[in-house]
Amino acid sequence: MNNLKKIDWMKLLLDNFIWLIVAGVYLYFASNIGGKFSTILNQINILSHAAVLGILVIGQAIVLLTGNFDLSAEGVLSLTTIFAMWLMVEPRKDAGGAMASGLMLHPFIVIPIILILGMLSGWLIGTLITRLKMNNFIVTLAMQLVLRGIAMLISNGQIMTGSPTLFNWLGGKRINGFPVAVGVTLIMYLVVNYLLNHSKFGRELRAVGANRDAAQASGFDPKKTITFAYIISGFMAAFAGWMLLGRLETSISTLGQGMTLETVAASVIGGVSLKGGLGSVGGAFAGVMLLSIIDNGLNLMNVDPFWVQGIRGMIILLALLLEAQKFRYKPKVIHDDVIIATEKTQA
Amino acid sequence: MNTKDTNKITTPILVMNDVSKAYPGVQALRRVNLKVLPGEIHGLVGKNGAGKSTLMAVLMGITEPNEGTIEVDGKVFTSMNSKEAINAGIAYVPQHVAMMDSLTVAENILAGELPKNKFGFIDWKKVNLEAEERLKRLNLQLDVTKKVEGLGVAEQTMLAISKALFGNAKLIILDEPTASLSRSDINRLFNFVKSLRDQGVAFVYISHHLEEVFEICDRVTVMRDGRVVDTKYVKDIGIPELVMMMVGEGVEEYTRDSTCTDEIVFVLNNLTRRGYYEDIKLELKKGEIVGLTGLQGCGSEQLGKGLFGLEYRGIGEVKIHGEEFTAMRPIDSFNQGLAYLPQDRYRYGLVGVRPVRENVTYPILNRLVRLINLINRNEEKKIVADYIEGLDIITPNQEQPVRLLSGGNQQKVVFAKLASTKPTVLILHEPTQGVDVRAKMDIFRIIDELAKQGVATVVISSEIRELIGICDRILVMNSGKLTHEYMKGAKDTTPENILTAIEGGIKNHE
Repeated sequence: MNNLKKIDWMKLLLDNFIWLIVAGVYLYFASNIGGKFSTILNQINILSHAAVLGILVIGQAIVLLTGNFDLSAEGVLSLTTIFAMWLMVEPRKDAGGAMASGLMLHPFIVIPIILILGMLSGWLIGTLITRLKMNNFIVTLAMQLVLRGIAMLISNGQIMTGSPTLFNWLGGKRINGFPVAVGVTLIMYLVVNYLLNHSKFGRELRAVGANRDAAQASGFDPKKTITFAYIISGFMAAFAGWMLLGRLETSISTLGQGMTLETVAASVIGGVSLKGGLGSVGGAFAGVMLLSIIDNGLNLMNVDPFWVQGIRGMIILLALLLEAQKFRYKPKVIHDDVIIATEKTQA
Repeated sequence: MNTKDTNKITTPILVMNDVSKAYPGVQALRRVNLKVLPGEIHGLVGKNGAGKSTLMAVLMGITEPNEGTIEVDGKVFTSMNSKEAINAGIAYVPQHVAMMDSLTVAENILAGELPKNKFGFIDWKKVNLEAEERLKRLNLQLDVTKKVEGLGVAEQTMLAISKALFGNAKLIILDEPTASLSRSDINRLFNFVKSLRDQGVAFVYISHHLEEVFEICDRVTVMRDGRVVDTKYVKDIGIPELVMMMVGEGVEEYTRDSTCTDEIVFVLNNLTRRGYYEDIKLELKKGEIVGLTGLQGCGSEQLGKGLFGLEYRGIGEVKIHGEEFTAMRPIDSFNQGLAYLPQDRYRYGLVGVRPVRENVTYPILNRLVRLINLINRNEEKKIVADYIEGLDIITPNQEQPVRLLSGGNQQKVVFAKLASTKPTVLILHEPTQGVDVRAKMDIFRIIDELAKQGVATVVISSEIRELIGICDRILVMNSGKLTHEYMKGAKDTTPENILTAIEGGIKNHE
């Protein structure tokens, strides 16, 4: 049976292929752009660019693991930032300006409120999908529109500026030149990745995503698991909103438009299966890094912005192509016949 | 029966040579050889999982075989797509015919070639005339202006056959065509099929109803475990022989000593679910193995699923160790001491893409969880290693995705999962389905071992011989009721008697 113990190098390579691509792209930019790309400042830039997207991807990856989509995240992000501003800032005097409640709540009260708002949105989505058996794609897409619509109503479609310093700490503060947001994102990834790979909930997520019926017959509660995944995703989206608002100190209801597809792309590039059940949050981080490095590199190379979109699309396609091939690669199937035969030869 | 004489001089319409097909975990077809002659109705029988469906999928061009050739009317294929299969003259008529229901019979017949008048509009008069003309050639009388949804099931099947013939089909595959028909409908359908047979059309007839096979088929091919057992002239054999071929004779039989004790641990009293089972009374003792058998649809499947909590259980008393069994969900059933092995292990039994280790411990994670939901990996690995060794599961390591194991080893993983919950009552639904002969013996050994440890077991199975080998008692279920009981070692506990008891259900039913 010695030959069966051999490590499947091909599988190991395929599972971690994405990090090779990240490294390859990084080295390509480093050697072609040189100094500007390799500075410490630029490394920090790449990471802070990745921070907000990274937080959103954690939520998206968790939902994808259950075999569902979450297209609502950017709506949550938009509404939480606008709502936070509405609660915090001073109403503007000039006519036609963005409205604010005039409550001028303390940030420490506002932050829990928006995080809970995100979780409530996730709970609602999860309930609609699991209890009322609605399609996850449509529910979350509609939710995105509804949430963004509410944000638009609250803000009158205007820019809202001037978030308090205490609130901006997460997104804007730098300690010795290192952004807090980056540190928090990295810690989040380490913790969530560890938890999902070692906790019962992580098991449930993947089992439900890969085979819902079997998961149920094995003693899990798929409805609860899926709802909980959406609640986490809503929390992450609100958290990302907090972070982004802290960096921009300004919000508008169109904030974060188009980020949903980026989160799906990053997750899939990072090896999270759209069919559910396979992949990890850590892998998805590789996808985030890849997108961020490409953005940064193309920017520094002064590539025509009209080209940037197309090139990013091509890279996403390429990553999906690899993912599809990965599924096609099947390690040798063991048949009873074969085993009997090998045992005979060994005997 | 004048066709029998012409058989000798005609060339076969279909020849399958050594066709094999493997899926991960299952060898679905093993060197299958099949010959169908023109003007013959060729029966194809075998139990679920014998390979009939795969064989048909290969013929229809849905699945590509791994080896072998298919020769249709002289043309040789190594693999076909569905278009090639249709062009070669193979047509498939399923149990529920799919046609354009809201269109008329004539429109369905002439779909794609509707005659037009000189203005380019459809000439409806001609459509109906033409359709009637064509049906007349087949001696089929149907109102061509009627919508298809208004036809009976038998007529729809006949129409589907006719349509296939107008499309120049030479070989028609009938898959369980009588499943939802009354006797008079069956007669009409059979007469139609026989008249076409006499005109030289070849049929492959798939059915679970053996009497019908004898009624209509000229030859019959029996499949078992992906192999063709034999092809016989129907007039040369009888039903018992056919059953023996389906069930298999030469198989080594498993025998065990009873481990039944006197302590009653599982009680069912007046359990009733309307439309599925009625008034089920059953007492299981510690270490006892009870077989439950019957025709498909007799209600045993629902009983198993209902007890486990996958379906509605119905009304009645269920007790384990004297305590009311209240579980409504699988997790509660595990906790209250009842575990269930599903028939469809790919759908309910296993999460195929996940590793062996995870699949074994799914139901007992609560026991392995330490602080904040974290699983104790070391303990988990030890438990899984014990089961891999104890049940002799052949896998390169614990991290192998279960879908890549062989069928027998997959089933052992399910057993490991159930055993890990330390159940009082174990319900097994077709535990040896899709499993190799060697692995079958292992599985019997596992069931036996669990019974020795005091587990009360119900085996729901259609494998009568296997049941006789391992069970202390065999119960026969007919239309939702327990009708017969056969004790281990009693004189009347023979496959023939039990088969009659099962078949008796049909006669009572009609």
